[in-house]
Amino acid sequence: MKGAASVLAAIVAAMAQVTVAPLFPLSAAVPDFVLLVLVVVAAFGSPRRAMVCVPVAAIAYGFLSDRSPALLLMAYLPLLPLGLYLEEAQIPLNHYARTLAATLLTGLWMRGLLMLGPLLGGADASFGAVAGQVLIPGLFLDFVLLSVVYVPLRLIGWSGQGMSLQRGTYYSSL
Amino acid sequence: MLIFQRYSWWVAAMVGLALLLAVVGQVGVLSPVQGLFLNVASPFEKVLNGTFRPIAGLLSNAGEVGAIRDENSRLRLENEDLRNQIAELQQNAAQIDDLREALNLTQGDKSVQYLAGSIVHRDASPFTDVVTIDRGSGDGLQVGMVVLSTKGTLMGKITKVTKTNAFVRLITDTQSRVTAEVLGTGADGSVRGTPGRGLSFDLAQGEIAVGDTLITAGLGGSYPRGLPIGRVTSVSGSNQDLYKKVTLEPGVRISTAETVLVLTSFIPETLDLTP
Repeated sequence: MKGAASVLAAIVAAMAQVTVAPLFPLSAAVPDFVLLVLVVVAAFGSPRRAMVCVPVAAIAYGFLSDRSPALLLMAYLPLLPLGLYLEEAQIPLNHYARTLAATLLTGLWMRGLLMLGPLLGGADASFGAVAGQVLIPGLFLDFVLLSVVYVPLRLIGWSGQGMSLQRGTYYSSL
Repeated sequence: MLIFQRYSWWVAAMVGLALLLAVVGQVGVLSPVQGLFLNVASPFEKVLNGTFRPIAGLLSNAGEVGAIRDENSRLRLENEDLRNQIAELQQNAAQIDDLREALNLTQGDKSVQYLAGSIVHRDASPFTDVVTIDRGSGDGLQVGMVVLSTKGTLMGKITKVTKTNAFVRLITDTQSRVTAEVLGTGADGSVRGTPGRGLSFDLAQGEIAVGDTLITAGLGGSYPRGLPIGRVTSVSGSNQDLYKKVTLEPGVRISTAETVLVLTSFIPETLDLTP
């Protein structure tokens, strides 16, 4: 049941990404609701649920925006490995900081990857313009969105989960 | 690499899935599935759009009160100027009608046909500006058809159609290129989208000044000649520069447009290069 709710949330996030996100731009960046939902599922649900949601969200977002679902899948792919790395690298960070770091690093990778196509296609953009108008505002939006969502979720009693894959059957965690 | 030991099978499966999606996407197998998905998602998107658009409008207006006031006073002056021009044009039109009747010419171009559509959603990342409209191949739309605002300003071109929807790449997308000329002077060049959903103009030859109006040149067969694109807002650069830096203001507020017109009577020409 929770697994189905997570998948549904990923699809709704993809819809919100093409309807709501463009209404709230910051410079040339827009909030990424898909990334936010994937982070929440991974950090508060379970990484196995997020493993299902990543391709579902990428395909839904790709269909709605006419972008390549393959490219979007690669864009959101690092979230879970990064989360696990930050968890197991003995870096003294609490759950919020780890989740935020995984979000920002994935957001950076995603925006960089999605920019490659237009840049290779001849779009005129200097590094300064890209950083000032896209990357920094985008990361700021990721930070604000995650913080706005994270704190209330903790306040209502949701506990943060790790991103390690525990031994056991796959379906038991769905 | 601990992370790949734990997630190795999943990462490998996702890379494989991405490759598969890329291949089947190229072949076109995904198009019917995409069409079906768009159909199912459409009512939910309308709810999301209807809920958040007024909120965004309110926030946007609240943050731009000063700018709106300035724009308002500028528009009042422009309005007065335009009214005067209309009066003059009406007089000219009456004269032209008389002359046409005298020459027995047909009036107006009856071959121009439009189809109205609503924007159902948009993908507006920094380098991409693509909207989806609620008309598709079932309504006779084809890839390459030109899309205009309700007032006739150029907005973009259809890049993909499903049975019920069409994707329109707007002129502010960084991959858009439109050959254009300056109305009145004949100076020409190429209009392209810039990061951040702006417009710039690469002037090939001729002189250009702030306030000039750009229209499509019709070269290349992708767009008909004479469609309004926008107005020059700044010109910078010296004569030694390959191109002067010219920025444009689109003739229509593309970000808030909700209805568009598809020029169905214009089919873009494609060059047949086969010997």
